[in-house]
Formats: sequence, C-alpha cells, structure tokens
Amino acid sequence: MSIIDKLKNLGGKGMDVKISAELENLMKDKGIKKEEVQEIINKAESSGNKLKSTDGELCIAKGEFENLTVYAMYSASELKDVYTHKMKILGLTGGELADADYDDESDWVCAKTGEPALERNVDMNYMGVTRPGPGIVCPNGSDFYVSPGVAKTLTTAESVLEEKRA
Amino acid sequence: MPAEDYAPIDQNWLGEAASLWTTPWVDKPSERVIVDPIILSHAATVFKKSVGYFYQNPEEAMRMVCHTCEMYDITPVGHYLFADYWGADYGAEIKWQTNSPPSISNRPIKNAEDVDSFEVLPPEELAKGPTFSTHFRALDTCLKEYPSMFAPVTQLGGSMEVLTNWAAIEDVFMWMITEPELVDTLCSRAVEHMVNASTVTTDKYGLNVMITGSVVASGDLMDREQIKRFSYQPVSRAVKKVLNAGVGPGIYYHLCGNHYDDYDLWRNAPMSPFSIVQIGYDGQDIFPTSKLIENFGDRCTCFGTVDTKLVDRGTPAQVYAQAKEQVLAGKDSPRGFILGTSCECPTTAPPINVHTMVKAARDHGKYEKF
Repeated sequence: MSIIDKLKNLGGKGMDVKISAELENLMKDKGIKKEEVQEIINKAESSGNKLKSTDGELCIAKGEFENLTVYAMYSASELKDVYTHKMKILGLTGGELADADYDDESDWVCAKTGEPALERNVDMNYMGVTRPGPGIVCPNGSDFYVSPGVAKTLTTAESVLEEKRA
Repeated sequence: MPAEDYAPIDQNWLGEAASLWTTPWVDKPSERVIVDPIILSHAATVFKKSVGYFYQNPEEAMRMVCHTCEMYDITPVGHYLFADYWGADYGAEIKWQTNSPPSISNRPIKNAEDVDSFEVLPPEELAKGPTFSTHFRALDTCLKEYPSMFAPVTQLGGSMEVLTNWAAIEDVFMWMITEPELVDTLCSRAVEHMVNASTVTTDKYGLNVMITGSVVASGDLMDREQIKRFSYQPVSRAVKKVLNAGVGPGIYYHLCGNHYDDYDLWRNAPMSPFSIVQIGYDGQDIFPTSKLIENFGDRCTCFGTVDTKLVDRGTPAQVYAQAKEQVLAGKDSPRGFILGTSCECPTTAPPINVHTMVKAARDHGKYEKF
C-alpha cells in the first residue's frame, strides 16, 4: 500500500506521525514544536500541496512563517526529518521555467499534479539580499521546496549574510 | 621568507578592501567596484622569485599573494592553486618546473580499458592525497596568518579539466569522436570526484567555494553540442550534487577561453546564493561586460574581465581603456560586479598594468545604485 493509500485510509482525520527522540531533540534545538510540524503535515495532506518521492514512500510538506520556512519529511507512520531555512523563496530565477539543457528531474513528484518536480534555480531573499539558490520546483512554477542538503547549504549562506550584512 | 620577514598587513587597508569585496556578494554599499586580477604566480614576480619557487612553497606562496593584494589594493583573498590538480592523487607524475606551474605526466588512464576500472577516491583518501596536502598547506597558512583574507577554495575546474588530468587530452578528444560513451563515463567519475573533493574542504573548514566551469571545453576546441554533453551537463550535475550534499555554498563558474557558442547555456546552470560567473572571450575578443550583464546580471554576481594578453603585453593606456569600458558596463549590475582579468594574471605582467586596472576602477567604478 502506498503512502497515499495509507493516508486516504486515515479518513481525513490527519496524520499522527511517530517522532524519534533524536529528531524531537533536533526540533527542540531549532525551536520547532511538534504541534507545528503536525499542522504542516495535516495541511499538506488536506490540500495536496506537497512533494512525494518517486518510490511513493516519503513526502515533503512545508510551512512558511514570517522569517522561517519549515519542511517536514515523513512516511505514512514516521517523521523522518525536519529542516528549515530563513531565506525566503520569491520565485523562479529569471522569472520563467526555461529549458535548462540538463537532466533537471528531481527524486520528487508534485503530489497534486503527479508531474516530476524539477531542480531549478529560485530567487531567495534574506536581509534585503536577493540571490539564486537550488530549488525543487513543481512544473506549473507555483510551488517551491528545497532538499535537506540544500537547507544545510542555505544555513551556511545565511550565516555569511548575517556576518557580512551586520 | 618566513612570516616574520613580511611587514604587517595594513589593517585600515584590509578593512576598506574587505568592505569593497563584500559589496558584490551581499549588496552592502561601499564606494566602488573591487578589482580581482586573479593573482597567483604573478606574486612571485613581485617578490623576485620564480614560478617554481612559488608553487613548491605553498606557505610562502600564500604570503606573497596576500601581500601583493595589499600592494595593488585588490581583492583581499589569498589563493594558491594551479591547473593540473588531482592527477597526482590517482597516480600521475607531477613535475615541478622553474618557469611555469607544475604539470603532470604519465596519467593513470592510458586506454579505454582503464576507464572501466578507474575508481574515484573517497573523501578520506583524497584528503590525504598530494593535491589537498599541498593545497591545505597554503590555505592553513592563510587561515593562521591572514585570517581575514581566508577563503576555503577547492580548485576543481570543470569535468573536462578533471578528466584530462586523468587521461591524455589527445585520447579524450579522440574518444569524443570514436567512443563518446567512454567520455560520458569519465564525466560521471569527474562529477563524483568533484563532490568528494568539495566534501573534504567542507569537512575541514566548514564551508567550501567550488571553482568550476569550463576551460578545456571552450569554443576553440569543442562545438556547442560537445560542450553541452561533456562540460555543461556534467558540471551542472556536480554543482547540484554539491549543493544537495550541503558542501557549498560558493560556486565560481570560471569560463576561461572562448565561449561565444555556449555562454547562454550557463544562464540556467545551478546556482547558490554565492555564485559568480566569469567568461573570458567572445570569439577572439574579450567577452563584453554589457553582454555578461544582459545574460547573467539578473541571476548572480558577474565578473567582468580585462584581456590577460593586454595586461601582459599591452600599454597602460590600452589596459585603462578596456578596464574603463568594462567597469562602466558592469558596476551597477543588480547582483554585484567584480572587475578582473580573463584568466590568471600573467606571471610577468608589468605591475603598472595591474595597478592601471585598479586606477580605472577608482576613476570609473563608483557605484550609483546605492
């Protein structure tokens, strides 16, 4: 049974995912509450605005707050990862989804349309500075995500900006 | 010369230069465009040493570069690197030469069969290898003695540069025609190597500035489709992997040589918030900064160039005229601008020509956008 089928079986009650002690500590360190993550997942499940892994086993949901974007990576039963960035994604770099001339298919599918999500540059703003970054983009160009690794890269970039813009 | 033989770096200069250097990356206002003539073995000339001495003494090379930066009033970042990185890690012989940078011979891949059995070194092995051992001697010197001038750079080049340090360039070009799938395989190995090397630098220093792009893969040697297949696509894969592995965030696209036929491909190359694009030539001419800004100005920091031939053999008046034209075209680029040279500053370039580039930036590179 795929994650989507399992979620359908929940009958719209929303998910109640298991969280490991290690991940719970990580969330505490980041100041993220379990209930907030739960809310992000529930919203993604009800709206369909999320990424699904190509093997159907994992999903990524995101919640955008004023100064922070929070991502939850989860399976049908367990929260696998929570990661964040402060840079705000504004949209596609260059404004349109032009042909990239390289293999830009990501390991993710946009759950709403079933189309493969693409790895493309997106403009990100932080502390008044707008620059590109590698995003995961739904082909309709309306929904943007980043991978856990890119979130790590962005954390480094944010630190540099905080130091240099101070 | 040991560290104590150098005069201390002027901290006032360093503060001002750092301010100029910061602007193109984070839009923090400063007075004018910074100049980066990519000083490497030119610093040896300044100190009346040979190129061979420079490269065989990475600690001193770093000191010479840092003090040359101060002397010229240019980008306050210490560098040490050369083109033939990574071959020696895989068994090639490195030859230290008196009057030119090190070169390699006896490359490990000698025929098509060697390609299949060629294995990329994991990060822990690369970290102990000859390239990083030498490179880190220079970077550690910078971090210890000139911490404000430190940048954790990994010199990779593009896929074609990496794989032609593993196999002879004439073999690679022959395979591009007779057995292109073999070159595809080598490109995949190069991508893996680039990610592993970036991981090593990040593990050591916490972040990484990846110098990549395309030098061998230029319009003088390859056509657009070859560049796309063997350079642009594998380099893009490598950058995506590096950023997805969290081992960035600096990406320096150094498109050396003539890119009249492929420059537009790179508009959509994967980028991070600290990305810069430099393109050397548009056919036989220096790549116009106006064209650079038109294509990349709304994307990333742009590196406009003055022809290294001019810096090496031109008159100061010629250098000044070209630097003026380029800096006027680029200075207010929306995502930052640096004025530099089309490639490394020639070893024996007249110092007056490097100074003249800075003079042009002082005279004509004042920001109007802030």
